[in-house]
Amino acid sequence: MAVYKRRYNSYAGSLTPDWSRFYVLTRYAFADLFKSRAFVIFFILALMPTLGFGAYIFVANNKTVQLILQMRMGDVLAVESQYFLYFLLSQSWLAFLLNCWVGPTLVSGDLVNGALPLFLSRPFSRAEYVLGKLAVLGILLSCVTWIPALLLFFLQGGLASGWLWPHLWMIIPIVFCSLTWVLLLSLVSLSISAWMKLRIVATGVTFISFIIPAGIGAIFNGIMRTYWGDLLDFPQLFQAILASAFHDEQFTGAARFDQVPIPMAWATLVLVCAFALFVLNARLRAREVVRG
Amino acid sequence: MPATPSTIELDGLEVQLGGRTILHGLTGALKTRAIGLLGPNGAGKSTLINTLLGFHAPAKGSVRVLGLDSHTQGKALRALVGYMPENDAFISKMSGVRFVRYMAEIAGLPPDQAMERAHEAFVYVGLGEARYRPVGTYSLGMKQLAKLAQAIAHGPKILILDEPTNGMDPPARKRLIELIREIREASDICLLLSSHLLRDVEETCDEVLILRNGRIASICNLVEERRANRKFLEMETSGAEAAFTTALEALGCECAVFSHGRMKVVMPENIEIREVFRVAADRGVQIRRMNHRRDSLETIFLNAMEQTGAADGRL
Repeated sequence: MAVYKRRYNSYAGSLTPDWSRFYVLTRYAFADLFKSRAFVIFFILALMPTLGFGAYIFVANNKTVQLILQMRMGDVLAVESQYFLYFLLSQSWLAFLLNCWVGPTLVSGDLVNGALPLFLSRPFSRAEYVLGKLAVLGILLSCVTWIPALLLFFLQGGLASGWLWPHLWMIIPIVFCSLTWVLLLSLVSLSISAWMKLRIVATGVTFISFIIPAGIGAIFNGIMRTYWGDLLDFPQLFQAILASAFHDEQFTGAARFDQVPIPMAWATLVLVCAFALFVLNARLRAREVVRG
Repeated sequence: MPATPSTIELDGLEVQLGGRTILHGLTGALKTRAIGLLGPNGAGKSTLINTLLGFHAPAKGSVRVLGLDSHTQGKALRALVGYMPENDAFISKMSGVRFVRYMAEIAGLPPDQAMERAHEAFVYVGLGEARYRPVGTYSLGMKQLAKLAQAIAHGPKILILDEPTNGMDPPARKRLIELIREIREASDICLLLSSHLLRDVEETCDEVLILRNGRIASICNLVEERRANRKFLEMETSGAEAAFTTALEALGCECAVFSHGRMKVVMPENIEIREVFRVAADRGVQIRRMNHRRDSLETIFLNAMEQTGAADGRL
């Protein structure tokens, strides 16, 4: 029907499958994000270390280039588990910064002008809403963590004959630990975004939610002469989990942490995720109910 | 052949929020295509709408809309609904047409169809020129129209409008009411309109559900009421009242005579008012005053409030 014909028509066309509708939120969020030139530049910069690490693998496996450079790359850092550990730790900080940029915009924009009832008055659940928003962060953060790590892994596997099969076990810590970090970051920033309606405040709170508890933990450690305060230092917990998953005993961060049991580190991260889900469940409602 | 389901069917619906019972065992069936929801502030209108949409779970009883239970078949029901909330509900940075397209896609329309319908809906509600502006820059009236556009873009089977004319100036209100009537008449869409403006309901609805303190004060079919009112006369006469009454009764009218020549007459369908004048002239009776009883919605509403013990039933 042409738009100039001012008459109401009901819709009798086809509908998209139910399961795919959460992705509408993801698609629109990506369209908004990539409209910003600053974000595109930041996202490209976040991918740059992968090129550097990839170049290192190339040089480490190319004797000619090493001769030209007059250095043996294996002496600096062998492309083994510690190499991937370093890569994932550096990328986890970039993922954190990316999360601080993107996460706070996702839910607060819908809450500030009361758009949530419009989503939920359609055949669309709160779980689908959270899934759609999580997918935005999940895809973006995966692009800077485990996906490039796997690319590097297979690059090394392709260049170094006989390397791939003995190191295949590393795929599990690369994917599983990275996804844990991605999930933690995404849930924390979404819950803060659902709590703080002002974007700038949400960004600030997302940033300090990882810094302030770590500081408090360090103070607690200093006063009580213990290391249990590290349970509030989420990046440190992730580092410990990652080091443990890569069986890295020498890693400096893990050495300081090795007295806090890894199951406790896991339990803390799971608790933080559960709390974030609790906040999302409390905040993402079509109608607020005033008690009393 | 199965019976056509009521538009809205309430079966002992009780809703509790924050530890308080807001809706108390509502029972009734609303069968027409255009239903008005009336009641004073705090009567439970918005709670009822939110329960219909599945936002609140009933503590007891159930409510069915177009034959679907709002709680157990919520998703299927919401697939049929277009909802225009009372409060601000938009994404301020999005352009109007993109906002409506977004909502249509979430309702299940494919992207190209959603885009086409969003443009159509925007032009239809009269915001064609403003469709590329961010919704946050719209005036209050334009925001109301944008909310209506997102409610109709996906072609719902039932349109739920919560205080649609809030904040609109009289011409804009008139245009919106015309739009709602057009939508109703142009398709088989059902309408549930909640408003504190009796005129809005009177102009758009066939049936009205009046709530007071979370209870049903009245369910009234306005179509039947209007039809009945056309045949109900109040008169003040002078002369041979008894003979006049007898003659009217011979025509099939029901008469009630009061003091000082005042009488009420209910006429059968086939009798016109000129018959009454003719009988009065034949009997030499003067008709000094004659009124069609015009039970406006206001009267119905006030009666409902009084019957449930609310002499101060204000809107």
